[in-house]
Amino acid sequence: MSFAKLRPMTLSNPTATPDWTCPFCSLLCENFHPAPGGAAPIDGSDCPRALAALAAHTRPGPGPGALIDGQPASIDAALDEAARRLAGWRQPLFGGLGTDITGARALYRLAARTQAICDHADGATLMQGVRAVQDRGQYIATIAEVRVRAELIVCVGTPAVARYPEFFRRIGLGEAGSPCRELVFVGVAPPEGLPAGVAVRTLAGSGDLAEDVRQLAARVDRQRLPAPDGGLAALAQRLLDSPYAVLVWEAAPLGPEAALVIEALNRIVGTLNRKTRAATFGLGGSDGAFSVNQTFTWLSGLPLRTRVSAAGLQHEPRCFDTARLLADGSVDGLLWISSFSVDRLPPPAAVPRIVLGPPGMRAALQGAGEGVFLPVATPGLNAGGHLFRTDGPVVLQVVPLRDDGLPGVADVLARLGERLGATP
Amino acid sequence: MSATIRIRGGKVYDPIHGVDGEVRDIGVRGGRIVALDPREPVTQEIDASGGVVMAGGIDMHSHIGGGKMNLARLLLPEDHRRGLEPAALPDNPLELPSCGTCIPGTLATGYRYAEMGYTAAFEPAMVAGNARHAHLEMGDVPIIDHGAYVMLGNDEMFLRLLHEGAPPELLRDYVGHVVHATKAMGVKVVNPGGISAFKFNQRKLDVDEAHTHWQVTPRQIVGALARAIHEIGLAHPLHIHASNLGVPGNIESTLQTIAALDGLRGHLTHVQFHAYGREGPKKFSSAALQLAEAVNANPNVSIDVGQILFGQTVTASGDTMRQHANAELGSPRKWIGADIECDAGCGVVPFRYREQSYVNALQWAIGLEIFLLVDDPWRIVLTTDHPNGAPFTSYPHLIRLLMDKGFRDEQLAKLHPEVAAQSALKDIRRELTMYEIAILTRSAPARLLGLADRGQLGVGAAADVTVYRDAADPEAMFTTPAWVLKDGVPVVKDGRVIATPAGGTHFATPGFDPGIERVLDARTDAYMLPHRRYQVIGHDELCSCCNGGRLLPAACFPKAL
Repeated sequence: MSFAKLRPMTLSNPTATPDWTCPFCSLLCENFHPAPGGAAPIDGSDCPRALAALAAHTRPGPGPGALIDGQPASIDAALDEAARRLAGWRQPLFGGLGTDITGARALYRLAARTQAICDHADGATLMQGVRAVQDRGQYIATIAEVRVRAELIVCVGTPAVARYPEFFRRIGLGEAGSPCRELVFVGVAPPEGLPAGVAVRTLAGSGDLAEDVRQLAARVDRQRLPAPDGGLAALAQRLLDSPYAVLVWEAAPLGPEAALVIEALNRIVGTLNRKTRAATFGLGGSDGAFSVNQTFTWLSGLPLRTRVSAAGLQHEPRCFDTARLLADGSVDGLLWISSFSVDRLPPPAAVPRIVLGPPGMRAALQGAGEGVFLPVATPGLNAGGHLFRTDGPVVLQVVPLRDDGLPGVADVLARLGERLGATP
Repeated sequence: MSATIRIRGGKVYDPIHGVDGEVRDIGVRGGRIVALDPREPVTQEIDASGGVVMAGGIDMHSHIGGGKMNLARLLLPEDHRRGLEPAALPDNPLELPSCGTCIPGTLATGYRYAEMGYTAAFEPAMVAGNARHAHLEMGDVPIIDHGAYVMLGNDEMFLRLLHEGAPPELLRDYVGHVVHATKAMGVKVVNPGGISAFKFNQRKLDVDEAHTHWQVTPRQIVGALARAIHEIGLAHPLHIHASNLGVPGNIESTLQTIAALDGLRGHLTHVQFHAYGREGPKKFSSAALQLAEAVNANPNVSIDVGQILFGQTVTASGDTMRQHANAELGSPRKWIGADIECDAGCGVVPFRYREQSYVNALQWAIGLEIFLLVDDPWRIVLTTDHPNGAPFTSYPHLIRLLMDKGFRDEQLAKLHPEVAAQSALKDIRRELTMYEIAILTRSAPARLLGLADRGQLGVGAAADVTVYRDAADPEAMFTTPAWVLKDGVPVVKDGRVIATPAGGTHFATPGFDPGIERVLDARTDAYMLPHRRYQVIGHDELCSCCNGGRLLPAACFPKAL
């Protein structure tokens, strides 16, 4: 785990339309680009996540065709068969949901028509953040605000760069002009390769992060607590003294108690904002998770893990969980979408499957027996699109590096919908 | 050949042409109003006899798209279910499921606006960095046209330029560039300088108080922005959410803000929230009369009201400074705030306006007083600042309050007793006429936005037409139009959606020196350069954001000071 080495920016004109926006994590970096056609290496970064994704998309494979039950088929035949099977499912689950906003728009229409439950591949971690917001709200800062204002950055339970390798570079850590004086890691070891010039402190914590964060919240709120506290009192004072502190969280490594931790962080920020300034910054929402969640929210009024059922629009942030639904036998078919990742295969389950994925996924599915596979383009690689960045308010356009003649997710879903009959 | 429709025998209210309830036929062909010979055969005849015909309604200030609305939806799942039961599905097979009362999904937003006879709504607070999101959301508001005002005057670049004494041409080119990049229809300033000041931990900013970091005042910001917009020639004047929203005694800031315009045009928005005195035992009083007198005396000023109505809603604003201060009063007690991209911010606070609350009752009365005390209906627009004062679906109720003194008195009597007894509202006898309602909901917003072919029924105008059945109760009448036509296509019949075309997008096309981008780079700290500013939204991209709806570019008419 090392965070991407700092290299000079390659931008000659920062206000021009970008050459490329990397779609492979929700940082949506705009300041590096791959070799022509999307091959490694990338110029301006050694981001392992981007490199691995690009390499996976260029792996030699059996070709771009569709599959029906492991056998090569024409796209039209595969669409006909997929529509026939989808129409027969009594309770479909739309899973994975690795697509962009255009894909999400089409997905909602099809989900409304088929009364499908919709859950993202990272739905469990996505819902931790959603539930924390639904309970208490939040105060957030975006990347530019963190870059220009954060004097103190506290990473809680995450080294940040394990899954978001460019994070510290995006916020200008260690660069001349950065206001950040101190970087604190709570309950996690700092990553290697942090830039010199920024004080780094680690609070190992008690091993129970939720409890540590609750304690920190109480101390920021000036409540008297029995000692010892493993440095929490000092951190609380440091937060109170900072002109602008940012608490960074990531639901993925926090496990099932993530919502509690996030809620406590939101509470800490609320307390700090009475006298000084502070905000949280969440890392998450890659593989289209935030994009699809936001799109479903504006279209229907409710976020993911919602079903259009005969009873109405049902939102169940806990129950409508892919693993749980498959384990319970509550669904009888899975439409799996993964347009960004070659390697995010549908979970092994006894239910029939329709899979929309990049051509590189075909090899893994060829031996998987029953199911229909339809190849789709990847936004930011061989298709355009729009994606939400991790910090929330920013939507960026992604542009293709090459044209492979593949249909987008929205196109395939619309053609499926047509085969199911007229949609509104 | 396209269909020809004759809307026959309705009482026509078309204030742009001075038509006040005259019985006329209206012809429609190819999406436009046409002159039809009475003998000419038509594809469809709509019988409007005994009814009322107006242009489609235009809501010039309604939060229908963009980050803060979706945050509000995320914050309030309770607005999207019925107690413990899920939200009901539509009973209309043409509608996709979409729910919510004070923050409906975008689909429901379009259906409900159209069902009420409205054919356009404008998002007033688009954060530049959130512009794509705003256009994508508005693109998913079906049927009605839309557009947005981009927020400036809290962005670090504008404040820096002002602080450094940049010449007016540079400010003008910068504003033009941002409008162009974000495909905005206008420019809004929210708590001038205050959103930025809150990032520097400033908690209050009066009109002549300096921003703690940039050392510029709201007066300077308003003056500079109003001048830039005048010189670029945007049709819509600077849209102003003034300083000190909701603060007792803020009428002083509001009057100072009008003075800061220095005679240039300005549109003061949701003025109900900015017309408070501090008289009386509770140190909170109506300053509606002072505000109305200022509007009456300053022809360069237009307003929309931001009426509050009782019940649950959610307030969503760019004004983080004031939303943070008001969060303690929220209900339910949770809220969202954000510092956004060195551009602006947002604050979302759920709110329940209660009839028995002295403050809320007075806010209700202040809004109505403003409606009834401003003389010139062409400079006042009917809004609830959806959803901040109330959801837009309460417009028919609000119209009845304005048209029916007896009904207004009945409602006043239900409020907090001190407000019921003392409010100046009880002595105001004015009842707005149908003609005036047509101005406040159609013609005035069209004129203030420079929509030359909307908000009117003249030959050649876009055929956005609403036919109401005349009823004794204006609330019932305005709730359920008999017919609504959007660009000549019948989209609503008997209050029910019958077609769901994509709406168009209005945006301004200002001229500016394209060299401005290099100038801005040169004025940006090297450290912030890698943070790319605004990727320009091109026409093709806008079209895809907006679901293929029509692009409606508006010309600008540059003027010297």
